[in-house]
Amino acid sequence: MSEEEIVNAVLSFDGDKVTEATKKALKQGQDPVKIVDELTKALRIVGKKFEDGEFFLMHLVAAAEPVQRVIKEILEPEMMKKKEARKSLGKVVLGTVAGDIHDIGKNIVGAMLFAAGFEVYDVGKDIPSDQFVSKAKEVNANLIGASALLSTSLPMQREIVEGTVNAGLRDKVKLMFGGAPVTEEWVKEIGGDGYAENAIEAVNVAKKILKVQA
Amino acid sequence: MVKRGLRGGQLRFLTKTQVEAIHTAALEVVGKVGVRTASKRILEVFNAGGAEINQKDGGIKIPQHLVEESLRKAPRQITLCGRNPEYDILLEGSRVYYGMGGTPTPFIRDIETGQNRRPTKKDFADATRLGDALPNMSFLMTIAGAFDVPYQVEYEHEWEALFNNTEKPIVYSAPSAYSSRKVLEMAAAIAGGMEELRKRPIMCLYSETIAPLSIAVANENIIEFAKAGVPITEGAAPIVGATGPGTVTGALVVANAENLAALTLAQLVNPGTPFVYAGWVNAIDPFSCRLLYGAPELAFSTSVLNAQMAEFYGLPTFGFAGPSDSKLPDAQAGAEAMQMALMNGLAGINLCHDCGYLAGGSVGSMEMAVICDDVLGNVLRLIRGTEVSDETLAVDVIKEVGPEGDFLGHKHTLKHIRDELHIPSIFDRNPEAAWIKAGSKPLHQVAKEKAQKILKEHYPQSLPKDIQAQLSQIVKQAEREQVKGA
Repeated sequence: MSEEEIVNAVLSFDGDKVTEATKKALKQGQDPVKIVDELTKALRIVGKKFEDGEFFLMHLVAAAEPVQRVIKEILEPEMMKKKEARKSLGKVVLGTVAGDIHDIGKNIVGAMLFAAGFEVYDVGKDIPSDQFVSKAKEVNANLIGASALLSTSLPMQREIVEGTVNAGLRDKVKLMFGGAPVTEEWVKEIGGDGYAENAIEAVNVAKKILKVQA
Repeated sequence: MVKRGLRGGQLRFLTKTQVEAIHTAALEVVGKVGVRTASKRILEVFNAGGAEINQKDGGIKIPQHLVEESLRKAPRQITLCGRNPEYDILLEGSRVYYGMGGTPTPFIRDIETGQNRRPTKKDFADATRLGDALPNMSFLMTIAGAFDVPYQVEYEHEWEALFNNTEKPIVYSAPSAYSSRKVLEMAAAIAGGMEELRKRPIMCLYSETIAPLSIAVANENIIEFAKAGVPITEGAAPIVGATGPGTVTGALVVANAENLAALTLAQLVNPGTPFVYAGWVNAIDPFSCRLLYGAPELAFSTSVLNAQMAEFYGLPTFGFAGPSDSKLPDAQAGAEAMQMALMNGLAGINLCHDCGYLAGGSVGSMEMAVICDDVLGNVLRLIRGTEVSDETLAVDVIKEVGPEGDFLGHKHTLKHIRDELHIPSIFDRNPEAAWIKAGSKPLHQVAKEKAQKILKEHYPQSLPKDIQAQLSQIVKQAEREQVKGA
């Protein structure tokens, strides 16, 4: 099993091929941790082509989804057996704030963060601020990411900041916000740590504020 | 006297067979895939109405006959009223009306500084007065937002500002059952009771389902407005390749399915509820991931596809005019505004909204609203086209003047020329020297000055003091009920 085969499978945007290549590599005795590295490398190529304007957002998602699936369904169980773990860049609690059920942007951010090597805990949509906080506490998260699309749901991001302060978590967890009405200034105003305009930037911002390298 | 707008509808892309194919596909989707809701109230309405519901996941499958029955119950004509009857507009067929703004914008381009900032309730009121003054805006939404009031009662404050600052018909959101009841209470105070409001609705609710196929709890606003018998429109807007299939036609099927579900909901609550159809397909930029307002796909889906579906259903329509992805009121903004306004006009959309939206709906711009008003002037002239009769063929006049004469001072010329020639308000047509003498101003500067002049001078007829006080009381009560510690 060559590294190239995994990369080509990801670049074919065919989920079945990614599954097939992954299973084949395992059968040939490759270390699941190394296969994850190869998948991640393939996604980096996709990301680069996206940044160069060759691929669309849709390609990015089409590449990330099967990778996410094979890691969760095939490779992680294998790693568990070997008592190995995927190298993690950090734990992220991610959701759409209370009063808002627009979650496609949040889902894309989740897929990109996962693909980049973060452990993503997606709490869902229309989520009250205390649930973001309690989940962060429960999993010992490094980062909370919260999305809002509506003018009336935007203030919930401030509640999340306050919630982490009140729970005594603020120095343990970084806060990243996004959504159409959100800006860098808004995030500064409410006392958050990072703002990202889109899913690719979200990965860069998350790495930056957590001071991690891929 | 109700205004009977110009008839568009010259532009058609689809054959009758294609329209029927889209309708049938949407029926298959609402019937077999269904929609889903987290609202028990909405679920209950569909349950009682004969849809197949799933209490566990909130699934609603609506049988074909129920949709078709609902389509028959919705009226073909709606008179959308201004609080001043002079501004009443008749929504039917392919009559075209344009409107300023949309739902609240998170930013406003400050008219004095040109900088973007968070809008306030005062900006919201000012924007409303501007729209009230612009002659080609027949109904109002907004190009601002009240960000300086408690967010829980943002919409109550915004409706108050709308009611106080325009005499024209209003189309706006009230994104919960609660805010809908408050808004209806305000409108009833103005109209002289709920029954009077139903007879002369001074507003239309703008509701929004969430693609794909999700009916939000906020869509309970449809139930409240339907109960009151006040017009409703529902902007179903899947994004091609994201919240809808990767083809415009497929995304339209999703939009159509959502709209038919919303229409059915309204008709089940109160048969005969005035319902304005909207089937739109949004696009996002596949690189920046920004939702687009100047995309050609949005322009032709909201215009001609939307119009042809509504024509098939015999329903009034809601579409677009004037929004842009440009950050400035510049050449791109002008081109995109014209693209949208002309397409929707030629398609014959009844309510075309979003004039004055910049930056993909993130920024409201008063200059742009003023520029749009001129764009609309041209568009309305284009839609009007030309009449062919003996009088307009003017053969006798041509005979009379003959070769090498002129028509400048002819009686026939004077009789017609004012109607034939459209005179723009701010588009510059002067010779260069005159333009230089007037200060060599770019269009956005002229638009800015016009907006400033309007804001200084134009105040619509105020509501009676006691009505103003009632509206203010309703907003205060909402604050007490909705805002902790208020």
